[in-house]
Order: sequence, then C-alpha cells, then structure tokens
Amino acid sequence: MSFELNSLLVSLHVTYIQNLGKNKDDLTYHLTAHLRMNAIYWGLTALCTMNHREALDRNEMIEYVMSCWDEETGGFGAHPDHDAHILSTLSAIQILITQDAIDILDIDRVAKFILSLQQPSGVFAGDSFGEVDTRFSYIAVNALSLLGRLGDLDVEKTVAYIVQCRNFDGGFGSRIGAESHASQAFVCCAALTILDRLDEVDAPTLSWWLAERQLPNGGLNGRPEKLEDVCYSFWVLASLSMLKKVHYIDSGKLTSFILSAQDPEGGGIADRPGDMPDVFHTHFGLAGLSILGYPGLVDLDPVYCMPAALIEKMGLRKGWQALERRAS
Amino acid sequence: MSHGVRRVLQNKEALEAKKLKDQSKIRDYITLTSDVLNRKKQNDWSSQAFQLTTELLQVNPEFYTIWNYRRRILLNGIIPQSTPEQIRDILAEELSMTMAALKVHPKVYWIWNHRGWCLDNVPSGPGTEQEGDPRGWEKGFWDRELFVVEKMLDADPRNFHAWSYRRIVLANMPIPKPLTAELAYTTRKIEANFSNFSAWHQRSKVLSSLWSKGELDSNKSKEEGASGILYHEYISNSSLKEFDLVHNAMYTDPYDQSVWIYHRWLIGSGDDKDILEREIEVIQSLLEEESGSKWCMESLVHYKRLLLSNHASTTDTSTLKRDCMGLLRRLLEVDPSRRARYEEIELEIARL
Repeated sequence: MSFELNSLLVSLHVTYIQNLGKNKDDLTYHLTAHLRMNAIYWGLTALCTMNHREALDRNEMIEYVMSCWDEETGGFGAHPDHDAHILSTLSAIQILITQDAIDILDIDRVAKFILSLQQPSGVFAGDSFGEVDTRFSYIAVNALSLLGRLGDLDVEKTVAYIVQCRNFDGGFGSRIGAESHASQAFVCCAALTILDRLDEVDAPTLSWWLAERQLPNGGLNGRPEKLEDVCYSFWVLASLSMLKKVHYIDSGKLTSFILSAQDPEGGGIADRPGDMPDVFHTHFGLAGLSILGYPGLVDLDPVYCMPAALIEKMGLRKGWQALERRAS
Repeated sequence: MSHGVRRVLQNKEALEAKKLKDQSKIRDYITLTSDVLNRKKQNDWSSQAFQLTTELLQVNPEFYTIWNYRRRILLNGIIPQSTPEQIRDILAEELSMTMAALKVHPKVYWIWNHRGWCLDNVPSGPGTEQEGDPRGWEKGFWDRELFVVEKMLDADPRNFHAWSYRRIVLANMPIPKPLTAELAYTTRKIEANFSNFSAWHQRSKVLSSLWSKGELDSNKSKEEGASGILYHEYISNSSLKEFDLVHNAMYTDPYDQSVWIYHRWLIGSGDDKDILEREIEVIQSLLEEESGSKWCMESLVHYKRLLLSNHASTTDTSTLKRDCMGLLRRLLEVDPSRRARYEEIELEIARL
C-alpha cells in the first residue's frame, strides 16, 4: 500500500456505495441478488452513519423495497419474485423507517407473517421451511418493536428459548447446544435488551469473553482462536455497549485495524486489510467506528443497528453506552 | 459478503477482458434465472423445471428461493408420483448434489438446510413391520450423514455449520449414538488440536448430559438402598480425568485461550475449596515456568477471587487480595489492551 490508511475516506465510501447499484456488468452483482434487500439496508445505514443519507435516491429505494413484497405470505423477499424471508423482511422495515415511509406498509399483515414464524419452543424460523436460529428471534423482536407490535409477542416463550442458548462462557449459540459466537451474542443481547430482559445475561462472564475477542493486531474475532474480521467490530462492540463495557476493548488499536481494511482506490471496507471490500463490511466497519466515537460520524443505535436519533425519536432507546464522540 | 478474497490491482485491459468474458455468463445466468422464476410463478412442478433448478443452484447455491422451489417441486410434483424406493433414491441423489455443493461452499446455510430437509423426508422402508425394517432406510441415511459431517469437520474442524448440523444428526438418529462415543469423538478432536474450542465446547455439553444422566442412575440406586455418594464419586472421578486432559493442554500451549475457557467451566462457581486450591497450585507452578503467560495470571486472579467470595472465612483473605493485586499489576503490563477491565477488577478487590 502506498500510504498509511490512518483516516476514514468518507467521500470514497459514499461513492463506493452509490456505485453498487451500477455494477450490472459485473457477474457478482447478479449472483448476490438474494442479498439485495439486506445490501440496500447496509448501504443506506452506512450512508446515515457518514451523514450522507441523501446520497441514494429515496423514491427509487422505496419503490424497489415495495417491488419485493410477497403478497402471498405478507413478507418481503430479497429481490422481486424471490420468496419472503424474515431476513429481508426486517431489512425492508428498517429501510422504510429510515426513509420515513413506513405508512406505505400493511403493518398488520407483516406482523402476522413474523408472528407466524414462532415455533412451539419459542425460537423463530426464517421462513415456512423452518430453519431456526436465535438470529431470527432477534429479527422478529426487532421488527415487531419497530412496528409497535411487541404487545402481540409471547415474550416469556421468546426469552425462554434464548436463555437456553446461553453457554458457560457467557456467550450464546444459534440454537440450544451450539457454540458461542460473537454475532449470536449480539442478537441474543439485543433481543433481550429490547424485551427489557438483559438481566438474563451473565454480564461479567460475557464481558470478559467479548473482551478476549480482540487480537494483538487490534481486530476482533468471533470465537476463540479464530481470525479477526471487520464485521465482528460491530457484533462485539454492540454487545459490549449494551453491557456498558465498550472500554474493555482497546479502541485505538481497533480503530486502526478497521481503517487499515479500507480500499484506498475504490472505497469500501473489507473483512481485513488487502481484501476485496463489500457493502456488508463497509457498513459494519463504519458501525464499529461510530460506537468507538470516531470523529465526524453519526451515532448509531447498537440495539437496532439504525441511526440513534431515529430510534430515540420513536421512543425505543434502551440503556446502552457507546464511547463519547471525539472532536478530532 | 466476501471473506478472504484478496484485492488485486488489475490494469484496464485485464478489467475490460474480464467484463467481456462476464457478459455472456451474465446473459446466460439472467436467462436461466428468469426461466426458473417464471416456472415457479406458474406452479410448474415438472421434472424439467426440477432439472433447471439443479443447473441454477450449481451456479449459485445461495439462491434460497430456488432451494425452496426445488423442495416444492419434489413435494408437489415428483414425490407423489414415486414409489418409496424411488423417493429413497431421489433423496439420496439430492444428498450427493448438496455434498458436491458443500465441498465448494462449506458455509452456506441453505445447503445444510436442504440436507436436513431431505433426511426428514426419507420414507419408511424397506417393507413393513412384519416383513422388513421400516426404519431401515432412515437408519442408513442418518448413519451416512454422521459420516459426512465427520468428513466436513476433518476438512475444517471449526466449521460451526458442521458442528451445529452434527448436533442435529446426533439428536435425530433412529438408533442414538451413545454419549460416551461422542465424548470419545471430542477427545480425538481435542488431542488432534488443543486449540479447537468447538470440540471443547461440544465436550462440555456431552459431559453435562452424562453427568445429569449419572444423577438419574444414582437416584435409581438410591431407591435400591445405595446412597447419593455414589453419584458424587462418579462425578469427581470423571472430573479428575478431565483435569488431567486440561493440564496436558495447558502445559502444551499456555497461550491458547481455548483450554483456559474450558478450565473455567470445569471449576464453575468454585464451591469445592479443595479443587480450587489444587488448581491454583497447578497454575502457579506453570506460571513459574512461563512467567509471561497472561492466561495463567488471568485465571489465577479469577480463581483467587472465587476463594475470596466463597471461602472467605477459611482462607487468608489479606494474602489472597495482595496476590490478586500483584497479578493484576503484571497483567496491565503484559496485556495492556485490556487495561480497563483489569483496573475495574482492582477497584472491586480494593472494595472488599
């Protein structure tokens, strides 16, 4: 690399995100259609974090989201004519709320679709084929909360399943018996936070386990003895912010690590330095930097992973704590 | 999402050439996709449509809608017209197809899900209860699946999709594998590589089940007039063996966190003072050999704090506190990244 990547290349990242929809002569663009709705949410939220929400056309975005509505199931697919799934449904809701366009949605139907995915054990499935995962429990809780429909949820049953996924290391797995993983720690902490049940977390043990995700190069891994990856910056920091322990991480070293994973030519952030950037890592890298108080960025609500001011305005803010925003 | 794909600087000509090459691929892909999605809209359950989903999924195994469509074709078109033997063969073919996909994409949720669905749909057979073994095919499928998942874990011993799937297989096998066999499997995995935390994790779950089953046995023996002591002896014997394995791993690589996290599970809340003191001694002598080992010091602080909180009346608390403070000072030097946490613990101890 020709120069040290020691600052955030905001305008390059904005351009990078704007160009994502123009890559139609790239095969990868077509092969990732099943992630399109999520990608738009990642791109939009990344832009909000950089205070450039207007960089993507609002009407075009809303129109696209609504073109993915699956009338038969009452949920959203990732792309027009793709099947509805809880993953793309949450992204669609998050986009519509961020764009202040939620009125366009048939909230009753979406809430019904989401609630229909809860299994007798309390966990949620991703779609009618029934893959279950605590990720889907978080998505359901997050979406219902954003829609103002948490009152329709069987909270006890939902919490009971999540609690059974807690492991001795304080972390959480995707299902009962599964190994702890930083991203599952995030979804379980965030679901419990939204439901005001964070007391179910063994906070000292989990904070210790999360602090041990940081590696000597500053980056964070998702499980013991694994490689670092920029996206864990968010999963780990967001969990720690709910536990009010973000200072357990060496923020200087993590900031440098995230910055070093930027692509100084084309913009965007990769999983680790020197790799190909993508919108997923760009968003979660920026989200991590925001929690670390990086100068000039906008506050992100770590529980909903959406702009903090928006969540606050909706009256949904919980008691998390990020690092104070630095002036320079 | 891309992981571990290196960024290469390409010159303009190379980029143009790639674009040109991609163009025909893109055209073919778009044509195939819209053909399949159109058939899906029209509820086309034909074997021709089925064949097209195979083609599409071979190019893009992450296209979840197409996996769904494929299952609907099987359920609505193909399975109703087939004999149990044919269904068995079709599902076996599905498993070979997904196996090939998993070799290239071992971390795609949708492929693992499809295998699980296939196994849930194995018909009963061969024959009937009177003549035959109606769960025979099912047994064969699940046995083979355990073999497959072991192959996947040989290739990547930390693949959490494979571990998660392994637990599903173990829970669904018509003839359950004994827990002791699974314990032996984790021993093999751990001994092959002490830093395989996935295997340590699995071991903690298996041992917990074994121990709680032992409790059932001890209840049974209680009814027969024996005492509950049997159970405690059983646990402490097996936990002694467990500590041997853990000490071996600690001494082999004191810088690997897997074993230290597992050790913390074995100690638990630290109610047993003898075990706590014994383990503190073991770690202390390791620290004498490896004076810079963060995990030795960090664990000593944790276990000494357990002594302080659980056994204050029978221990020398001022020495313990002084020990902890000394260790924390050294931790601040060897592990400055986690300084804030160590300083918080110092304050907590000072307040005791």
